[in-house]
Amino acid sequence: MNTSSGSKLDKYLGPLNGPQTMGRRLPFWLGFLVVIALLALAPEYLRRYDIINFSNFLISGFLALSLSLIWGYCGILSLGQAAFFGIGGYAYGIVALNLLNLHGNTDVAFIAGIIVPVIFAAIIGGIMFYARLRGVYIAILMLVVSLLIGMFMRQTADPSYTLGEAYLGGMNGLRPASASAPLLPSLIFGIGDSVIELDGRSVSFYYFVLGLLTITYLGLRCLVNSSYGYILVGCRENPDRTETFGYDVRLIQLSVFCLAAAIAGLSGVLYTAWGTYIHPDGFGVGPNILVVIWVAVGGRKDLGCALIGALVLEWASLRLVSEGEIALLVLGAILVFAMLLAPRGLAITLADYFNKAELLLRARLSTGNGVSRKNEE
Amino acid sequence: METFAAVFDVIYQLFDNIGFLILAASGLVIIFGMMGVINMAHGELMMIGAYITAFSYHAGIPAPIAIIFAGIGAGLVGMILERLVIRHFYKQLLSSLVVTWGLSLLLSQGFLIIFGPSILNVPTPFGNFPIGEQTFGIYRLVLFAVAIAMVASVWAIFTYTKFGTRARATMEDPDMANALGVNTGNIYALTFGLGCAMGGIAGGMFALTATISPFFGINYTPLAFITVVTGGSANAISGLISSALSLAGIQTGINNLVNVYIGYVAMIGAAFVILLILPKGISEYIERRKIRVRKVTNK
Repeated sequence: MNTSSGSKLDKYLGPLNGPQTMGRRLPFWLGFLVVIALLALAPEYLRRYDIINFSNFLISGFLALSLSLIWGYCGILSLGQAAFFGIGGYAYGIVALNLLNLHGNTDVAFIAGIIVPVIFAAIIGGIMFYARLRGVYIAILMLVVSLLIGMFMRQTADPSYTLGEAYLGGMNGLRPASASAPLLPSLIFGIGDSVIELDGRSVSFYYFVLGLLTITYLGLRCLVNSSYGYILVGCRENPDRTETFGYDVRLIQLSVFCLAAAIAGLSGVLYTAWGTYIHPDGFGVGPNILVVIWVAVGGRKDLGCALIGALVLEWASLRLVSEGEIALLVLGAILVFAMLLAPRGLAITLADYFNKAELLLRARLSTGNGVSRKNEE
Repeated sequence: METFAAVFDVIYQLFDNIGFLILAASGLVIIFGMMGVINMAHGELMMIGAYITAFSYHAGIPAPIAIIFAGIGAGLVGMILERLVIRHFYKQLLSSLVVTWGLSLLLSQGFLIIFGPSILNVPTPFGNFPIGEQTFGIYRLVLFAVAIAMVASVWAIFTYTKFGTRARATMEDPDMANALGVNTGNIYALTFGLGCAMGGIAGGMFALTATISPFFGINYTPLAFITVVTGGSANAISGLISSALSLAGIQTGINNLVNVYIGYVAMIGAAFVILLILPKGISEYIERRKIRVRKVTNK
């Protein structure tokens, strides 16, 4: 860092800043605070309908973060990241339907929705990474796994597919076993007798998701800038060399794959609670390709850029839906053009230009003051 | 007669499944096996072939000619895509994967907007023949024959024609081929176009048995890819045939023992296990055996 404010910032934001993430200096963090403030104040100036949609955009953000973590940082492209999203959603729904009457809250379901995808990721990832499958095979295999789960869930319309109080319901999605029972529950957290209910359509749910997403983003920033993050990037850049340095590449890939599955599962839990709805289409080609589009267009090698990609494109596609059925067509076109014009991602490329312009301006200003100092960056 | 019919039924299914896998994968084996590009839009090129076939057929053109039109159309679309987009992504496997997935979304959504979600049908020709109480469609056997003919023609094109020699030289060492006067850009476009034309013909053939919609292709791409990868690229032709044989064999067996879904899962599980044991595909193993046999006989 060549500015004094940078070093002061580094003192307070030490673990958050590092070479693995863009935006280390004061302008970025000021902008970050402004965005958080704008999002936090959104219920003041947006309609209730928009807030419900914004909750959904933020939920997509988790999915983008999870793919950016494994693809951008560790070089593992998964074309089936939505599988973990769907598994998390189904696990949450099944456990919540069964335990809600017993416990009066969805604490266990919330945790199950994160743990079950992790277990699944540990099994399938363990086989893939310890067999040393290469990148392309993992990508396609994950897509096939996701499609297979979707195929299975689609043919569960038979009443025999009932797990306790939950009926898998085939194409109609997860439902309670008895028609008179209430639908899938929203999030209900309970400690002892006190209960906090977060209805998916409420402002409090929006704040909960916003807070959780901010914590996840900052937490992942710390993680990728820690020594673990450096090893991840090492696995991406040159697995053989990383192994020569004594790291078990397979274990590191597996661990980050499971972490990403947990975040994707969390996204699925929040989605199910938001819409009180989860259905087999979540495992299809569409949701899986959307995640890849957000991350590839935003910029896979930076958590923030991937997040921006998800939020902006989700907002844009909601806008496009009102224009007719062109949303997916436009998203496909955006992906192809972004891959051709800015292969690293649009947000990353723009941020780079911004950075260069700022440095140029600084250099101009300092020479204008008669001080010629060579820039460090 | 009863048992004969039952046995024939299984054999018929086996041939049907082998023909299906070979047809679906025959274009991809050129594109992935030779060029090292992953074309996730392959199913959409098959979809284009299916649409061309259906429209030509309903315009009064006989089915075999309609299918040839499908091959030409899909091949042209493939060459255009190669020149516009795909040539920028050679030697970048993951990026080619992502960008061609974008193309597949573009094509299927584009067709959805232009032609709507309605499905088209072309009647299956040739009729049936009875064995015992059951009847079997003749067209399925034609599919198998065409699949074999396509593999043979791919082999012949790359072995005996001038284009084939140049294409193999270009894939082996593009710079050297270029220095020797081969227009490698054209060769890449033509090879990719040939793979897409194969896909188009396959799509046209399937159009006579399946319903055609903009999402016709989605089901074919992963299966075709699995077949190609299981075969490996040491010898694309023997790999394709051996992997289609083994995968279809497992699918047919489990399908008859349990159900369709488990048969499908078993096939993908088998592909996975084969990849674990033979990471470079079955053809690599066959080539190794051949070399060993040759060494032994030379002694």
